[in-house]
Amino acid sequence: MSQAETTEVDITVLEQEGEVAADYIEGLLDIADFDGDIDMDVEGERALVSVVGATLDELVGKRGEVLEALQELTRLAVHRRTGNRTRLMLDIGGYRERRRAELTKLGEDVAAEVRQAGEPRPLAPMTPFERKIVHDAVAAAGLRSESEGEEPDRYVVVFPE
Amino acid sequence: MLEEALEHLVRGIVEHPDEVRVGARRIRGGRVLEVRVHPEDLGKVIGRSGRTAKALRTVIGALAGGRYVRVDLLDVNEVR
Repeated sequence: MSQAETTEVDITVLEQEGEVAADYIEGLLDIADFDGDIDMDVEGERALVSVVGATLDELVGKRGEVLEALQELTRLAVHRRTGNRTRLMLDIGGYRERRRAELTKLGEDVAAEVRQAGEPRPLAPMTPFERKIVHDAVAAAGLRSESEGEEPDRYVVVFPE
Repeated sequence: MLEEALEHLVRGIVEHPDEVRVGARRIRGGRVLEVRVHPEDLGKVIGRSGRTAKALRTVIGALAGGRYVRVDLLDVNEVR
């Protein structure tokens, strides 16, 4: 099988995952009487389902905890219907996008500070999604970082060269 | 609305969606939502180390908007 064909199959699978996820989330929005449209996309090797619309803060929650819970349930719903252990990403009200921008900036700033100070620097506890963004930003800046501690208080430590 | 939302969330993740029942009762200071599922699905709605149960409670808590709501998960044969 050529590379192109493999990719095509994968995208079909991801789109199917997105459909199941969108049905699950849309059902909840209808019941809870939330306005919101659902966008589906494939980002890298994951399906991305985004709810866009008016006031959705309740569905995001403090530090995105409600969003993480909904994503977890949505992944289970996709698994039940497709048998796939999906890495589907759910976003609500652009939360993940905003958070990604903020945390990339944080990672870059801290990397610069640690490089100057020459001492490791621990950050505040973050979710796995958030830590990944910080690790990526620190790595892009040419420094090393690791996660330490236990969930839900796991945090990133940035090390000097 | 909360019962309906909980029923939808649970039905989507179990093998026996038609056997999901959600009941509600008032307690002092809030409400209890009681979810009953097929015995084979109980492990599924609780999840490893209670992860799925916690996710269900987090979402329902958010939809309840500050009111106290307890979510109990049981299999259909459990008597209380």
